[in-house]
Amino acid sequence: MRPHLTLAAAALLLAACSPKTEAPAAAGATSASAPASATAAACGKVTVANMNWLSAELLAHIDAIVLAKGYGCEVELVVGDTVPTLTAMMEKGQPDVAPEAWVNAVREPLDAAVKAGKLHYAGKAISEGGLEGFWIPKFVADKHPEIKTIDDALKRPDLFPAADAKGKGAVHGCPAGWTCQTTVANAFKAWGAAAKGFVLVDTGSAAGLDGTIAKANERQQAWLGYYWAPTAILGQYAMVKLDAGVPHDPVNWVACNGRADCATPAKNDWPRADVFTLVTERFKAAGGPAYDYLAKRGWSHATVNAQLAWMAGQQASGEAGAKHFLKTQPEVWKAWVTPEAAAKVQASL
Amino acid sequence: MAADDTLIGWQHFPALDEATLAALRRAIDNGFRQFTRSHGEALEAFFDPLRVALGAFETLLTQSPWPLVLLALAAVAWWASRSAVVVAGTLLTLLVIGVFGMWIDTMQTLAMVAVSTLLAVAIGLPIGIAMSRSNRLQRGLNPLLDMLQTLPSFVYLIPVVMLLGIGRVPGLLAVVVYAVAPMIRLTNLGLREVSAESMEAADAFGSSAWQRLWWVQLPLALPTLMAGVNQTIMMSLSMVVVASMIGVQGLGQPVLKAIANQYFAMGLLNGLAIVGIALVFDRVSQALGRRLQRHRQAANG
Repeated sequence: MRPHLTLAAAALLLAACSPKTEAPAAAGATSASAPASATAAACGKVTVANMNWLSAELLAHIDAIVLAKGYGCEVELVVGDTVPTLTAMMEKGQPDVAPEAWVNAVREPLDAAVKAGKLHYAGKAISEGGLEGFWIPKFVADKHPEIKTIDDALKRPDLFPAADAKGKGAVHGCPAGWTCQTTVANAFKAWGAAAKGFVLVDTGSAAGLDGTIAKANERQQAWLGYYWAPTAILGQYAMVKLDAGVPHDPVNWVACNGRADCATPAKNDWPRADVFTLVTERFKAAGGPAYDYLAKRGWSHATVNAQLAWMAGQQASGEAGAKHFLKTQPEVWKAWVTPEAAAKVQASL
Repeated sequence: MAADDTLIGWQHFPALDEATLAALRRAIDNGFRQFTRSHGEALEAFFDPLRVALGAFETLLTQSPWPLVLLALAAVAWWASRSAVVVAGTLLTLLVIGVFGMWIDTMQTLAMVAVSTLLAVAIGLPIGIAMSRSNRLQRGLNPLLDMLQTLPSFVYLIPVVMLLGIGRVPGLLAVVVYAVAPMIRLTNLGLREVSAESMEAADAFGSSAWQRLWWVQLPLALPTLMAGVNQTIMMSLSMVVVASMIGVQGLGQPVLKAIANQYFAMGLLNGLAIVGIALVFDRVSQALGRRLQRHRQAANG
C-alpha cells in the first residue's frame, strides 16, 4: 500500500504558499463578520501534511484552500510520507493535520498517541475506506465474464503470461518493502497460485507496478496483480477488483496473513483500510469551526476516482485539482463547511 | 499590497500558462502511448534475445551447486590476475556473502553486472574508436554522453517500462545506458593519447589502418581502456538499486526493502555485499589490465 513506502527524502520540507485572507472591512461590519474574524484569530497558523500520492495531495490542497479562504487560517503545506509525517505529529505535534492518513501500517503507536491525547481521529477521509486486492483490466473482465474471483483468474495462467517464465502466468506483486509485499506473498501461497502455474512478479516500486498496468492497458494485454483504491491509475484505466471469495478474518489476518513468517496462510480477504483525517491536540483545541470542517470532510471512492482521473488526464497539480473540485462539485464540499465559510470559499474561486 | 504590485511582473517568470503546458505534456504523452501501442511488441521481440541470454546466465549462476560456482569464479579470478591474493580475496568475499544469506541475490546481481559490462564494452569500444578518429563526432557525442550520465534514470525508466515491461531487459538497458559513457570516453581518450611517434613508426613499417589500430593503438591505450572497463563495472554496480525499482532481482531488492522499513542492518549488509563484489571486480579487472600490458610489452619488447 502506498502509505507504507517511506523514502528518506520524505522529510523534506516544502516552503509552501501561505495565503492570507484579508480581515473583513471594518466599515459596515455585520454581526456575522465578528465571529468570522474571531475564527481567523483562533485558527491561526495551520500546517497541513501534503503526502506524496495523488489523492492525499488533492485533499491537502482542498484543505489548504478551504481552511485559508473559508476559515481564515494561515495554512502551510508540508511535504512528507505517511510514517515520517505521523511520527512527527506524534512526537513533535507538527504538522497539525494529516488529511489522508492510511493508518493500518502504524496502528499501534497511533492508538497509543490517541489514547494519550496527543492526536485525534477527526473523521474518515474516505468514507468506505481503502480497498486492496487483486485486480484485472475491465476489458479482460468483459471478454471473460467467467472470471469473477481470484480463484477464477488463477485457473487461467495462459491468459496472464509471465514475461520471464515461459508457460507460466504472472501475478504482479506489491513493491519491495511495503507491508502489502507480505500480504500478497501470503495470498499467493494461500490460493496455491504456484501450483496453478503462476509466478509472483516483484514489481520493485510503485512506479514499476503502475508501469505494468499502464503497459497492459495501452496494449490491451491481460494483467493480474495487486492494487489498491482509490488511486489515480484506477481512475485512468478501468480495472475490476476480483472477489476474494472469502470474507476478511481479522484474527487470522493479524496472526498469519499479515506476517512474513506465516507458514501456512489461509485464504483471507484484505481488510478495508481505514483512512482517517488526523489532527493534533493543539489544533483540535484551537481550530474551532475549522476542526469541525475536518471532522465532517469525507468522500467516496466514486468521487475520488473521478477527481484523480481528471487530474491524471489533465496532468494537473494538486492545487489545480483542488480548484477544479471546488468549482465542479459544490454539492459535495458544501456539506462539510458552515454556510459562511462556503460563501467565502465560493467567492474566492 | 503596494509593494507586491510594483514587483509582481518580475517575481513571476513569464512561463507558458498552465493550460498550454498541460496540453503540451498531454500531447507528448499521447504520442508516446501511440508509439508503445504500435511498436511495443516489435521492440520487445527485438530485445528478447537479451532477455533469454541474461535469464540463462542467471539460471546458470543461481541453480548450479554453489561450490561449483565458487570454484568457477575463483578460476576466472586466477585466469585474469594470476595472483593468489586476489583469488583468496574473491573466495573470502563470496564465502562471507554466502554465510550471511545473500548468495542467490548476489549471483543475480553478478549475472546482471557481467552481462551489462560485456554489452557496454561491446557497444562502447567501437563508438570510442570512431570518436577518436573524428573530431566532429567527438563534439557531437560529448553532450549526448553528458546527458546519459546525468539524466535521472527514472525519467527514462518508466517510458521503458511501458515499452518493454518490468524485469531484466529494461533494467539491463538502464544500466547499460548509464555505464556505457565512461567506456566510450576512456576509449576515445586512450586512443587519442597514443603518441604521434608511435603512429608514424607504424605507418613507416607499412601497416594498414586496421593493423595500426590492433597492434599499436589499442595495446598502448590498454591502461586507459581497462580504466574504462573498470569504471563501467563500478557504474553498473551502482545502478543495481535503481534497476531493482523496476523489478530486477538481486541485491537491490533487499536494499529497497530496508529503505522502506528502516531496517538498517539489512540495508548495510546488502550494501556491503555490493561493495564486496565491486572490490572483487575492481581488483580482478585491474590485475587483468596490468597483466595484459606486461604481456604485450614482453611480446613487443
